[in-house]
Amino acid sequence: MRKAAVLTLAVVLVALAGATAPAQTPRAGGTLRAVFGSDPPTLDPAHATDTTSSAVIRQVFDGLLELDETLTPVPALARSVAVSPDGRVYTFALRPGVRFHTGRELRAADVKYSFERAARGKRPWVFEKISGAREFIKGAAGEIAGLRVVDGLRVELRLDRPFAPFLHLMAYDAAAIVPREEVEARGPGFASHPVGTGAFRFVSWRRDDQVVLERFPGHFRGPAHLERIVFRIIPAEITRFNEYRAGQLDLTDIPTGQCRSVQSDAQLRGEAAVWPTLGTHGLRFNVEKPPFNDARLRRALAHALDPTLIVERLLEGCVHPARGILPPALPGYSPAIRRLPLDRERARRLLAEAGHPGGRGLGPIPFNFNTNDLNQRIAEVLQAQLREIGIALELRRLDWAAHIKVVDDGSAVFFRQGWIADYPDPENFLTVLFHSRNIGAAGNTSRYRNPAVDRLLDEGDAMATGAARFARYHQAEQAIVDDAAWISLYHYSSRALVKRHVKGLERSALSSAPEFLAPLRKVWLDR
Amino acid sequence: MLFGITLLVFLLNAVALGDPARAAMGQRADPAALERLRRDYALDRPLAVQYATWIGRLARGDLGTSFREQRPVTEVIAERLPATVRLALAATLVAVVLGVAAGTLAAVRPGSVLDHALMGAAVLGISTPVFWLGMMLALVFAVTLGWLPVSGYGGGSLAHLVLPALTLGALHTGTVARMTRASLLEVVRQDYVQTARAKGLPERVVLGKHALRNALIPVVTVIGIGLADLLVGAPLTETVFAWPGLGRLLVAAVGQRDLPVVMGAVLVFALVYVVGNLLVDLAYLLIDPRTRRAAA
Repeated sequence: MRKAAVLTLAVVLVALAGATAPAQTPRAGGTLRAVFGSDPPTLDPAHATDTTSSAVIRQVFDGLLELDETLTPVPALARSVAVSPDGRVYTFALRPGVRFHTGRELRAADVKYSFERAARGKRPWVFEKISGAREFIKGAAGEIAGLRVVDGLRVELRLDRPFAPFLHLMAYDAAAIVPREEVEARGPGFASHPVGTGAFRFVSWRRDDQVVLERFPGHFRGPAHLERIVFRIIPAEITRFNEYRAGQLDLTDIPTGQCRSVQSDAQLRGEAAVWPTLGTHGLRFNVEKPPFNDARLRRALAHALDPTLIVERLLEGCVHPARGILPPALPGYSPAIRRLPLDRERARRLLAEAGHPGGRGLGPIPFNFNTNDLNQRIAEVLQAQLREIGIALELRRLDWAAHIKVVDDGSAVFFRQGWIADYPDPENFLTVLFHSRNIGAAGNTSRYRNPAVDRLLDEGDAMATGAARFARYHQAEQAIVDDAAWISLYHYSSRALVKRHVKGLERSALSSAPEFLAPLRKVWLDR
Repeated sequence: MLFGITLLVFLLNAVALGDPARAAMGQRADPAALERLRRDYALDRPLAVQYATWIGRLARGDLGTSFREQRPVTEVIAERLPATVRLALAATLVAVVLGVAAGTLAAVRPGSVLDHALMGAAVLGISTPVFWLGMMLALVFAVTLGWLPVSGYGGGSLAHLVLPALTLGALHTGTVARMTRASLLEVVRQDYVQTARAKGLPERVVLGKHALRNALIPVVTVIGIGLADLLVGAPLTETVFAWPGLGRLLVAAVGQRDLPVVMGAVLVFALVYVVGNLLVDLAYLLIDPRTRRAAA
């Protein structure tokens, strides 16, 4: 196994490393004034579960790999990766001479420490594909058996079975590398004073006010262009917008309901940008419980709903109407997926077939959603549309913590759920949300159980990337759509305002305003 | 009373839907990690034990550890307390200065155009939603005129304090103005004021020295009660102006079911209310010599 073949992927990684030169010569210096909508709960990669935390973590830490603008994994701390022919063993060679912000040099042992630490954090699923990880996560083993330090600069990761998106996991911020001595010296305080190898080092964090980072001159790629980054924490979107207009922020999000007016505003027009991201807003049923254990009833609802009103009126056409579950910006998306079309006659027939002609005997159906203005307005549209086929919805709004509880434990029968991909692969949508292994809090809140779909997903997850693999997901996706286990409304987009002097800000499908999640070391200010 | 409040908050939280461990996990929760987190948060213990532990720690001045931030609650609160106190004091100052001035001016010529204008403004101040007023002030004075910052703490600069203090103080200014006017009109009819006038004292001295001092007693009461309004209005003002105070902390903590922080913040709010009312009682002693004699 030591003579593992270096797959073409590794060659692609190295080839992409030095690509894409910007048209203008970047200028060094200046402070980027960025903004968040909420205080990051933590700055520790092992404990983060939200995009705000990730936005800081990605500047302060590096992983073995990172994603470029096209969402391809490219080398970061790893110089190269070799994959065994059976797709089960990954050997990462680290760059020599990489230093943490403390000056200490990076070693392969840091990778093992960081991964094992994070595996017992809040996103253990990032590591669970490694042999022996499940036992370690549950506390039944003292280390992850399949995670081996080969020498000072090489680590070997052995998987139980091949897993196509594994390199994406290695580019994910939960797999960021931390220095053991700093973590141990600071204890829980590491979450408020992070130390990594990243292009920016931590300066200060005043809770609910601002996080400040500064350029790390010793970064392995050379110093970043920006001198400093200040992330202001501003909860009200209208306040963020006002700060941007007053010239106090260099970038922000477009407030709800202002997407079109901003794009027609003489001054803001050239600064507004809307691009698709990796998310889908959907409706789900608990398919185990009456009445929606009857697929005919679920299909009846799917045929009765028309998302175009929501897309065009409520969201001003600034999002993408959905056919299937996977968003168009996701690698593996298929435009051939057919949604159950708007057809109220067919909906009525299905209702009658299910024993509820004209909605009789159904009573008001509770529809659960987490409180916010948009979700409320969407729920009202759904309520009006379903009334046309005789179904009454009873709207139940709960705050997030209560909503996720009734969704997880299966007590909600019909509810909204959005999903944003953690990494750009169909597995992160379809397997997480619909595989019977993930029923409940792990992602399959529909409690959907379809052996044919399970098999397709298992095959797809293990196959090497390519058309044959994606074909498995398309088949599974169509089966789920036809079963109406999920009704897609629209795909998410990022709606951003960026000042003209901000150059080099990536607008990838993973980068969403106001947090962006883009590598800010590439950003420079032209003024 | 404080214990009653903490018990009430604890029980409300116990019946509320939602689990702090689940809320901390994001959308995709690993069952093993969830279980470990519940153990770490001591959520696997009976409610009575959880509350008794909390009270036991409180007796030693320990408010526990925040679920969300994994730091001592005392630290989490202490960080935000100065910003909250600054804002509350500034808002009170706005209310007292503007309110007493407007109320006195209105009382000088009851029924005049000035009186109607001032009292109209006072009602407007009481009834304007905090969120809307904050947004309007920011739009005019920060975005359009550029005189003041839109939002933020600004490291404690005075300029950053002006708009939040005006917003939060507005509600209260109206109440103080109306109370001052009503109270002054009442006092002006008293015999000793007539006597002062008969002695030939200028109206400025009659109103300013003799009448206002007595008229202020009910006003002070209103200010004390108004502290509660300031606490209620704080989360909204802090949200509009991105002010790093306790109100926002409390709202976020409730959302996350971060019970130790919720309990700690509620306790602080309750304490502020009690201390505020104590200060009002002390102020009576200062203003009204009769209460001093009664106390002695």
